[in-house]
Amino acid sequence: MNLQDKILGIIKENVEKSDAVDLESDLRNEIGIDSFEVTMIIDALEVEFGITIDETDFQKVSTASDIVALLKQQYIRDH
Amino acid sequence: MRPEDFFAQLTVDKSAGEKTGFNPYYHTVLSGTENGVISFERENLIDLASNNYLGLACDPRVKEGIERAARTYGASLCGTPIATGYTGEMARLEKTLARFVGLEAALVFPSGYQANAALFSAIAQKQDLILVDHYAHASLIHGAKSTGCKFRPFLHNNMGHLERQLQRASSHRQVFVVTESVFSIEGSIAPIKELAELCDHYNALPVVDDSHGIGVLGTRGHGILEHADLEHFEGIYTASLGKALANAGGMVAGPANLIEYLRYYCPGLVYSTALPPSTIGGVLAVLDIIEKEFHTLSGRMWRNKAMLVDGLCGSGFEIVDSEAPITSIRCESAEQTVALSKLLFQNGIASTPFIPPSVPSHACTVRLIAGAGVSEEDMKRVLEVFQRIAVQERPGTKKSP
Repeated sequence: MNLQDKILGIIKENVEKSDAVDLESDLRNEIGIDSFEVTMIIDALEVEFGITIDETDFQKVSTASDIVALLKQQYIRDH
Repeated sequence: MRPEDFFAQLTVDKSAGEKTGFNPYYHTVLSGTENGVISFERENLIDLASNNYLGLACDPRVKEGIERAARTYGASLCGTPIATGYTGEMARLEKTLARFVGLEAALVFPSGYQANAALFSAIAQKQDLILVDHYAHASLIHGAKSTGCKFRPFLHNNMGHLERQLQRASSHRQVFVVTESVFSIEGSIAPIKELAELCDHYNALPVVDDSHGIGVLGTRGHGILEHADLEHFEGIYTASLGKALANAGGMVAGPANLIEYLRYYCPGLVYSTALPPSTIGGVLAVLDIIEKEFHTLSGRMWRNKAMLVDGLCGSGFEIVDSEAPITSIRCESAEQTVALSKLLFQNGIASTPFIPPSVPSHACTVRLIAGAGVSEEDMKRVLEVFQRIAVQERPGTKKSP
């Protein structure tokens, strides 16, 4: 599984409306995720990749693709 | 910041009410909720808004229990339970409640919110982890977050997701798993047996808030533990006494040593004036009625729920699939939620609209609870109203799939 699919899988595992999530869906405005779901996603990503994510970075992302890009650029460059 | 600037920045978003010309909150109520009817500003409305599940709030026997206790003890003992507030009736209520829910001991709190908010600060420590169902009540979240220990939500009623959280929680001194029995907007019921088994396996402590289950679930109305046939629940149980039990106050139940500890070390109890004797008399009367008449009362409540669901089915409203006597209609926005509530109000029906920040923006809901007090005739009127609204002017509710 490539990194993008892995991250998408983690996001889907941590939101209530997982079936509706794809790489380009707007997580807040379209899927309607709330702050608890953001917490669950961040927590799962931190555990999976052994990283610590600054929650303010997550305020700038809207799609799963954005999260993939954020992690690649700032958190898991070695992958 | 100067005081006037500080106070000036405290504002309330009333835009949904202003756009619809209807503020659905803080109606002035001019009657009790009796025979399924409540008076808002001199309008008699069919009460689908209160949590009077069994219709006992104005029962003459409950009023008599309240009056008898007030005659004996007066309005208040003007003290906390640890000082002058612990009456003989309160001791009797604690024993009755413990027996009712099938646990060793119970403690009565001034409110259900206070029971949940105060519990965790008394028992949790910084090294602990509190896992909370995503849709749990604000009082549980407030209580859990107030402890300063690690707080993590798990997906609603998703035991696979909970187990993944439990698998990586071994470094914590104690893990608490917190849920409601019946979720008050969705009407979903927690898989409490499975949750308790997971807690047992991972050495975690389950905490269940049965506010919408006590007096509602189980063959005798004894709540979620009876409903799930959980005879040996090794956790903490909380509930409101202001819903099916038709009074006010809250409770915590569990092992005797937990209750004894809270009796002395729970600030939310020790430093708060005790529940009035009249309310305790009222709860005792309700519990007595439930023991004798639950079958009849719950039969009416479930009949009303079935009528509502059958009547709304196919009407175009998106009904939230619910296992409890709660029927919720999803709406597309806060404004449309208030608009539907206004339409119901204008047609003689009291409902409860949930809009942000109570719920996320995608979960705006009008909730209907048709308790045992609502007559069959009034239920038919409710359905006629919904049929009329559905045909004429349904305001922006989501379409059924």
